[in-house]
Amino acid sequence: MRNVRSTPEATRRRRRGHMVLWTLLALPAAVMCWRVFVVGIHPAELLHGSGEVSARLMLVGLMITPLRLVWPGARWLLWLRRQRRALGVAAFGYAALHLFFYALDMETLQNILAELSATGIWTGWIALALFVPLGLTSNDWSVRRLGRGWQRLHYLVYPAALFTLIHWVFVHDNAVAAWINFSPLIFLEVYRVAVYFKQRTR
Amino acid sequence: MSLFISSKGLVEVVTAVVLGVLFCVGSASASGMVECNTKDESKYQAKDVLEKQLTSKGWKVRKIEIDEHCYEVYGTTPNGEKVEAFFNPVTLDTLLVARRGEILFKSEEAMKAVSE
Repeated sequence: MRNVRSTPEATRRRRRGHMVLWTLLALPAAVMCWRVFVVGIHPAELLHGSGEVSARLMLVGLMITPLRLVWPGARWLLWLRRQRRALGVAAFGYAALHLFFYALDMETLQNILAELSATGIWTGWIALALFVPLGLTSNDWSVRRLGRGWQRLHYLVYPAALFTLIHWVFVHDNAVAAWINFSPLIFLEVYRVAVYFKQRTR
Repeated sequence: MSLFISSKGLVEVVTAVVLGVLFCVGSASASGMVECNTKDESKYQAKDVLEKQLTSKGWKVRKIEIDEHCYEVYGTTPNGEKVEAFFNPVTLDTLLVARRGEILFKSEEAMKAVSE
């Protein structure tokens, strides 16, 4: 599916597109680190932002497949699907940055362990733990190596998304933002299930 | 292959049910922890007074904001807990102390305000 137009010009254009995308994806992280380490803003102030960027990238990545049910022929969706790995890796990167800011905020391991029992906290840890194998296998070598198992492994993103949602809902005193961010995906998944059952009963 | 698809459909049904439950639980419990009926900001004590009162008790204060007509303090308790705490801005009474959305302390005044 990749070598539809594998001319040197197309390859160059794809590489350039990739560079632009990676730069765009890295930009918020650079700004966040600059604010913490140069401006001197407390890392706790960046907790929400880093987590939100991570969750949104994950949500965009997850919405691509169900969106293709709604617009089967859309070219921008095909483009987006090619960039899905970059979105996933970036989501993992921002989750790691989120953890880093959290560790800076908490200062000691003792403090981190003390609040582990809060629903909003342990669910975040589980979501991150589920993300680790996904991040580590987001490369060509792993895709080749794992074969069909790769796809199955990457279904872990669904429980990861669910734990991310629970984490977000419970860690804040205002759950509305979490629901607003997740609602497009939830609607799309409901539509996807509806389509699936309709096709099955036919 | 068909088995695989059907098991995936099941996963999505289960997810939808869990989401429904979560939505009810989440929106009931987690939104708007406390509300103060102190709308007249001219009667508020200065944030500095609250900060001094807290630091003298061993708190570390990072930030004080106004939220739902209450003072909302981001800081560390004398026990070392990183918390969000809500205070009556007129009396400076402690209303609610929460750690990552988990309520550690809730005053009778805050309970009454929520039930009213």
